[in-house]
Amino acid sequence: MIWLTWRQFRVQFVAALVVLAALAGYLVVLGRSIRHSYNSDILGCVAANGCSLSQVEARFVQDYAGPVRVSGVLLMVVPAIIGLFWATPMITRELETDTHRLVWNQSVTRTRWLAVKLTLVGLFGVAATGAASLGLTWAASRFDQVEGNRFLAIDFASRNLTPLGYAAFAFALGIAVGLLVRRTVPAMAITLAVIAVVQFAIPIAARPHLRAPVTASVPYTSAVPDDRGGFLKIPGPGRPVEIEGYTIPGALMLTSSAALLDSAGRQVVSDQLRQCLLRDPRKTQDCVARLNLHFRVSYQPANRYWSFQMLEFGGFVVLAVLLVGVSLWWIRRIRG
Amino acid sequence: MTAVLHTERLTKRYGHRPALTDVDLDIPPGRVVGLVGPNGAGKSTLLGLAGGLITPTSGTITVLGNRPAANAAHLARVGFVAQNTPVYPGLSVRDHLRLGARLNRSWDQRLAERRIAQVGLDPGQKAGRLSGGQHAQLALTIAVAKRPELLILDEPVAALDPLARNQFLRNLMEFIGELEVTVVLSSHLISDLEQVCDHLVLLSASRVQLAGEVDALLAEHHRLRAARGDLDDLPAEVEVITAEHRAGESTVVVRRAGTAPIPGGAHRIESVGLEELILAYLTRAADASVAYQPTTRPMEAQR
Repeated sequence: MIWLTWRQFRVQFVAALVVLAALAGYLVVLGRSIRHSYNSDILGCVAANGCSLSQVEARFVQDYAGPVRVSGVLLMVVPAIIGLFWATPMITRELETDTHRLVWNQSVTRTRWLAVKLTLVGLFGVAATGAASLGLTWAASRFDQVEGNRFLAIDFASRNLTPLGYAAFAFALGIAVGLLVRRTVPAMAITLAVIAVVQFAIPIAARPHLRAPVTASVPYTSAVPDDRGGFLKIPGPGRPVEIEGYTIPGALMLTSSAALLDSAGRQVVSDQLRQCLLRDPRKTQDCVARLNLHFRVSYQPANRYWSFQMLEFGGFVVLAVLLVGVSLWWIRRIRG
Repeated sequence: MTAVLHTERLTKRYGHRPALTDVDLDIPPGRVVGLVGPNGAGKSTLLGLAGGLITPTSGTITVLGNRPAANAAHLARVGFVAQNTPVYPGLSVRDHLRLGARLNRSWDQRLAERRIAQVGLDPGQKAGRLSGGQHAQLALTIAVAKRPELLILDEPVAALDPLARNQFLRNLMEFIGELEVTVVLSSHLISDLEQVCDHLVLLSASRVQLAGEVDALLAEHHRLRAARGDLDDLPAEVEVITAEHRAGESTVVVRRAGTAPIPGGAHRIESVGLEELILAYLTRAADASVAYQPTTRPMEAQR
């Protein structure tokens, strides 16, 4: 069975190695370039006198955001490719061309046939994704460090452990859907749809709630608004005032806009800030900052990064194992 | 000896459509069994059940004393060539032999190579480029080289031209003699089976219409000719299968239990051929399903 699996998979295997080598080459170039810029620009700025570090950092992030994000998207696509083009056709092509009737009538049970394919191709898919993730995690490490926002959806899903979980899940999903649907094109469409929905839904609906969030009361000072957010939003008369897009460095924010509260915890309405409505927004902020107001935000702090990586990886591995279980159970019952 | 294939009230339905209904069969070892019937009669269903590719809706089926495809050891004892003789188009003939060798402990590489050479297959050729006949030969080679005790062939020659069909069947016969294997093969063409079979199972409208040794079946059945009306009162031991009335003369095909005498008028008793016998049963089954009345006998229904 190992030989047959290899014989049927070797073209994809070699193709995967070629793509992986190309990606590795690109990531090495990118990683070296990022390190070089970091050493000369940022460390140079730290060493130099009178250099504005935040400006240099902003330019550094701006320079590399493009290639780093594109690589991140690429890494999120890898699991989908594995599910779509390896897993699903591996099953449906046999069922469509009737070759399953040839191979299932050799002295190998269906369960073993599937188990060997799942193990060899699946593990290779996870390993290949792992290699790509390792490459990007290394290449982008200085960038991630300077940017300080590892919970950003695209970064979180394309670094460290999570891509491996995605790959295992996508592969197991492709197999299960292939067995249930039996036809290549509909099975690929369903697999793609599920993977897409999961990749969009997880960062929005699931990830923020993996652990009970921390809630903090933040005093509104003139330091609250910065280039990331925390803007004062003053609506028409009688409506509550809100703080929009306040971020805590490195944290996963659950609150996108928070009501401004007074010291008794009551919502501040726009009329109460009438005396602060000045033409210069900076002066407005400073005026509001003197009113002893605060707002509440809930978030997942930066130091939970690894626990979230583990949770998401573990969750997808559990899903993959369940899907494999379904496949192994189902293959014994399907029409041959 | 125990039966190679044994079924009891074996039934398979796809939704509400019956594919096989209450089939009771006993196939003794060492036979070449022809499974014949029109398209859609349930032949592939019966063979699929025997190969363990599908599971019955109700009833039981036992192959070589075990549930079909029960485990790897049992799979090794049954060779199965599915309809349209599937092979991997991207793999070469040599790769297919390797597949057989890797996936079967009992694989006989010398037999496989000898067969490939005998039927003139190029080991380096991709299976996708083989002709229909070569395709079938390759699939058969993989099935026989695992040295099965039971070889199941589902319409192996259906897609072949008459020459390739004849060659395939002749070649099959040579190997069967050498291998001491029980063979079950299906076809909707009676002439295919006449060449090779010594046991017959006739399926029509999801039911077994007739089953038994070909020689015994031929000995039991007769064609009677007589003036019209003379054959109306045949004794109970003589079952009328079909009757035809033309220009004052009646021709009936009957099954006679043992050597029961056939009384009656001035009729002639003639022997029947396998093809005529099968057609008689198929006609009866077809008529019964067209004008089926539970209380009338098929012959009366036909009148």
